[in-house]
Amino acid sequence: MTQQPEKGSKVSRRDFLKLLAAAGTVLSFTPFIDWGKFMPNPIGSNLQKAKVMLPDGTHANAKTFQVNHSEAIRYPETGDRVLDEEPFRRWQFIRLPAEYGGDRNDVSAFRAYSMVCLHLWCLWRYWPDENKKRGECPCHGSMYEPRTGKAIAGPAALQSPPANVLPKLDLEVDADGFLWILPPVMSPNANGVVGFGRFAKGVNV
Amino acid sequence: MSTTLKSENGLVRFFKWLWNGLERTMFLGLKFTFPSRFVSPLGFLGMLTFITFIILGITGALLMFYYEPILDRAWDSVQRINDVIPYGFHLRNLHYHASNAMVFLALAHMYYQYFSGRYKIRNEVLWVTGVTLGTVTILEAFTGYDILYNERAELAISIAASLTNSIPVMGPDIREAVFGAGFADFVLRFYALHVFILPIVMLGLMAVHFPRFLVFDVPMVMAISGAIFVTGGVFPVELGTKFSPASPPGVTVPEWYLTGLYSYLRSQYDKFVTGVLWPGLFIGSLALIPFIDRYKRFSWKDRPLITAIGITSLAQIIVTTYWGFYIDPDRTKSLTERLVIDPVLLYLVMLLLVPLSFGFTYMLIKLARHAEFVNKMEAAKKKAAGETRKSITLPENWTWALIVVLLVFQVYLNISAYYAATAGFRNVELFLVGIVLITFAGIFHIYRYASQQAKIPKPAPPKAPAPKEAAPKPVVQPQPVVEVAQKPVQQTIVVNPNVPAKNPATGSVDSQTMADSRNQDK
Repeated sequence: MTQQPEKGSKVSRRDFLKLLAAAGTVLSFTPFIDWGKFMPNPIGSNLQKAKVMLPDGTHANAKTFQVNHSEAIRYPETGDRVLDEEPFRRWQFIRLPAEYGGDRNDVSAFRAYSMVCLHLWCLWRYWPDENKKRGECPCHGSMYEPRTGKAIAGPAALQSPPANVLPKLDLEVDADGFLWILPPVMSPNANGVVGFGRFAKGVNV
Repeated sequence: MSTTLKSENGLVRFFKWLWNGLERTMFLGLKFTFPSRFVSPLGFLGMLTFITFIILGITGALLMFYYEPILDRAWDSVQRINDVIPYGFHLRNLHYHASNAMVFLALAHMYYQYFSGRYKIRNEVLWVTGVTLGTVTILEAFTGYDILYNERAELAISIAASLTNSIPVMGPDIREAVFGAGFADFVLRFYALHVFILPIVMLGLMAVHFPRFLVFDVPMVMAISGAIFVTGGVFPVELGTKFSPASPPGVTVPEWYLTGLYSYLRSQYDKFVTGVLWPGLFIGSLALIPFIDRYKRFSWKDRPLITAIGITSLAQIIVTTYWGFYIDPDRTKSLTERLVIDPVLLYLVMLLLVPLSFGFTYMLIKLARHAEFVNKMEAAKKKAAGETRKSITLPENWTWALIVVLLVFQVYLNISAYYAATAGFRNVELFLVGIVLITFAGIFHIYRYASQQAKIPKPAPPKAPAPKEAAPKPVVQPQPVVEVAQKPVQQTIVVNPNVPAKNPATGSVDSQTMADSRNQDK
């Protein structure tokens, strides 16, 4: 569209000017790329050892918590009423049925898994019924094994690792039988990432 | 009558001045057509979709006065709107049913344009913006029912967020950026999307999507509005149960425009493929249709392949929409058994629908051609016999009587609606107000008809045998009726005199060209 550049020179003066203008435009807007960090909400929470607080406000105790029973607990709690309602902070605290060793009074009888289903993030829960004794998601029917947190049926079971094993919390029982949540490491290779899953080593059910 | 309504007072002059002033606005290029007789609403479904958008804007803005997009208060504020705020129930119902109407009308509009081939001849931009607009409309409706934060809404938000998360590579970052860190963010951001960002996007797309020719048919607009009220009265919108993370909800089904997608999600296949890729491909191929369709003709009968593809897509939408809704009610079965759709079966049915739809299209075209032929033969026969087209004519007195009857009916409805409101029968009132609007549509239609009739010169009183020699046809002048049919069907108000009065060649979305072509057919 402009006159041909003379032999020997790569770009004409006018094209060079255009390139400079384009570079100026790009550079003018470059600072704003980093402004994209405005979008994700940086909710930092320091993960500390915490009591397993049941919905009725009591501290869960291995001596009193029923066998083959579950409650929805919160972790980590922020103290903010709204943020604490967050499904991502919800964990299903399960005492296994007797045949899975739930009648023992030590920590091996208890499990805590993220309630966010690994398929499409609906909230699953534990069903203690005689023919169930597993976690079930109401949305698309994913089912979870209570001992390992592994998806055993439904769409979540068909997902590749780590998206087929639920994130878990490590627990501890003190001398009085009270249950505590140990500080988790939220990474796929450790306790897992909520909604994303966990690489489970040695999970065979 | 001794008085006339034609006196030109200051107010009338002011409105005329205002109307002329529009010439200086962006309405410059637009031409509004107010049909002066009934025209098929199929031609202006887009305008009707826009009307529902306006209704949604007004009702939605009012709902914003009371709604609180806070995780633990969203549902309570909606409940307050529903149960405590005077007429909150009405506005909420209207907002909900208008959203359904908008999605439905947009779909109907798209398929009408598709089968009549109107995306051709330089209307490709209109088509592509239209498909985008339709997609955004569904997103808008989706974000709307999500911010109620009842049990169903929570599930819907979860699915939307996790589907975004499932996009390869960029998914988690996009999810974090668009939806935020958790549900407290999700609700707030869905609200921002619903009330501001998506409507602004829609308005921008509309600015491009609006054709130059617009039909504003008052009776049809009132009838659609009335229908939304009536539906709100018969099927009052549900509040649902407040979501509580401690007790996860049971099985819930999304809104009807998403159950098609839901049926694919239930087939257990990979969530990204079923939830993002398939709908993306469907929308993408729809947008590309004008560039695939190489037929030189417009009518669906002359574009068999494209029509068959359209019928296939319709069949698949209908089947999956129903399939997504259906959940085995037998609660003794396991959840997986009830929810999971066998992917082999689902995809086989989808494949089977292709030859079926192609066969169905073939049959439709054959039947239409046959009907066309029969009509032509009959018309020729009638012409030979000297018959003319019959049309219903209503004597002038009758139109007055009818309008008076309808007015009395409206008075009655108004009183009934008032009593229903005071007695607390809120959906009865909504229903009655809907009938009031539909009655207004009827009054306007009859008024329009009568005023059109008044313009026709009265036929000469029938004389005894005509003096003309051996005229075989009856002497009563049929001429006026025929003339009406050939007259331009609408009164048009041309805002800008420079714009040509009509432009049938563009085939743009207006009933003007449609009505014209229909007249030419006769």
